[in-house]
Parts: sequence; C-alpha cells; structure tokens
Amino acid sequence: MSYVDAGYSICLTVLFLYGVSLILRRRRLLRATNVAGRDATVPPPGTARASRPGIDAGDDQ
Amino acid sequence: MKPLAMRPALVRGLGIAAVVSLALTIWLGLWVTPPDEVQGNIVRLLYLHPPVAWVALYLAFGIAALSSLLYLWKRTRSLFWDRLAAASVEIGVVFNALTLVTGSIWGRPTWGVWWTWTARLTSTALLLVLFLGYLALRRVPADPEVRARRCAVAALVAFVDVPIVHFSVQWWQTLHQGASILTPTHSFKVHGSMLWTMLLGFVAMTLLYVWMLIVRYQIEVLKDRVGDEELEISLAERRAEGDAPPPAAGGGAPVEPAGSVR
Repeated sequence: MSYVDAGYSICLTVLFLYGVSLILRRRRLLRATNVAGRDATVPPPGTARASRPGIDAGDDQ
Repeated sequence: MKPLAMRPALVRGLGIAAVVSLALTIWLGLWVTPPDEVQGNIVRLLYLHPPVAWVALYLAFGIAALSSLLYLWKRTRSLFWDRLAAASVEIGVVFNALTLVTGSIWGRPTWGVWWTWTARLTSTALLLVLFLGYLALRRVPADPEVRARRCAVAALVAFVDVPIVHFSVQWWQTLHQGASILTPTHSFKVHGSMLWTMLLGFVAMTLLYVWMLIVRYQIEVLKDRVGDEELEISLAERRAEGDAPPPAAGGGAPVEPAGSVR
C-alpha cells in the first residue's frame, strides 16, 4: 500500500466512523428522551413510582 | 437558533452535499490531477491534509474560542454558546488528530521521518493535548454554570496556541513548508487543477464540519434534556414515596426473644 492510499484510507475511515457515531449517539439520545418524556408524568398520590413502559418487568408481555 | 427544531431535510441535504463534494475531491485528487514535478504522487495527500488542518485549527477551535468568549461575556451569556463550544472542540480534536496523522504520512516519504520536533509539528501536537484537556475538564462533575465557565476559560487558554501554530513557519526555522494558500502576500503557490482540487477539498471539509457541528450540538442538547428528565422522574418518585401511606401499625413491632434484657 502506498503512502497516498494509506493517508486517504485512514483519513476517510476516521471521518466516516466519527460521522456514524454521531448519528448513532443522536438516535440513542432521541430514544431516551422519548422514553423519559413518557415517564415524566407525576404519579398520583399513593402510587409508589411512575411506571416505565419497556423498562419495568412485565411490560414487555 | 433552535437546532433541534431545524429542518431535518436541511441537515440531511448538508450531509449529502459534504459527501458529494468530498467524493469529487477524492476523484480529482487521485485520478485527475497530475503528479507534482518535485513530490510526485505524494502531493495527492495535500488535497486532504491542509483542508483537514483548516477545519481543526481555524474553524473548529476558532468557533470554540469565539463561543467561549461569548459565554464569558455577561451580555451574551447563554448555555447555547457553551454547548456550541463543546461540540466544536470534539470535532476539532478529531480533525486535529487527522492533521497530525496525514501530515506524518506525507512527511515520511518527503522528509524521511514520520515525526520531527519542529515548531509547526510540536505546536500542533500541543494543541491536540490542550483540547483533549478541555474535553476531560467537561467530564469533571460540576454545576452546569460552573462547568461552562471553567471550560470557556480553558478553551480560550488553549486557543492561544493557534496563532503560534499558524505563524510558527515564519517565526522559526522549521522543516515544515510555508503557507500555500494563506500566504502573507495573498498569492497562491498552487495553480491549475491542483489549486481547484485543493479549494474543493476546503469546501468539502467545511461542509462536513458544519454538518457534524449541527449533529453534535443536537447531541449536547439531548444529553442535557435526558439529564433533566431523569432528574424529574427521580423527584416524582421521591414525592410519590413521601405521599404513600405508612405501613400498617401494630403488626410490625419486632418480637424480642424470651429472656432478653434491655
């Protein structure tokens, strides 16, 4: 492999991977805010805790 | 400016424009432009190295320093500037590292060494270390306002190295060549298809940087939002626990064993 090939490969691979990591991080956080937004409702008095769909046991039935 | 409300189509269009211009730069740089009279094919690395350095040093760290300054100035103080600086520094660190790597790969066949401690290279490496320190400082747990102020000062201190990097080839005797585009006499040292390819490289990397900055800024906003919402959930749970009726009286008293003495 020539120096030119190595330079282009390394540079473009790093930029591609960083770009993909940004998209994935944003997607994960968007999903987290959607879940947290649903859970942010204040539970009625006497309820032990807010239910967390998709997180608490039994919700995935 | 509300980046989360920014049209996704616009951001996507910017990303596509960056990829297309980068692909065009690669095609021109690798297959269309002629080899250099002195450097031969190694010159093709220069269609990437200066544009990457331009993004790291001038755009990313420049915007980070400007945002930090605007955060520290009381009249414009807003977490927007802090988030923008954080986003820009992270991208700048990636591009700074690539500047050193592509420069090193170009230097090996040209100078005969992968690395030499000349002013330009040393100050660029120092810049990477300084801004890595900035990123480390952001991870130190603190109140958001305190963290923002601390990081703004750190970004400004680190940015002092940027003019040193820029003028290092003029101030000191160094192996690194002088400027080819931003020359003191404002005259290009590159011509023809080589010049256009290099300029297209600058455009491509700038577009890529802007796209990355928007996405990275959105991540910063979402991170804060997730943190706030988790806090709200915890508080709601605490309140709910406080409102819950106490356990039934009378049945919960511990039974002492027979013969025990208090």
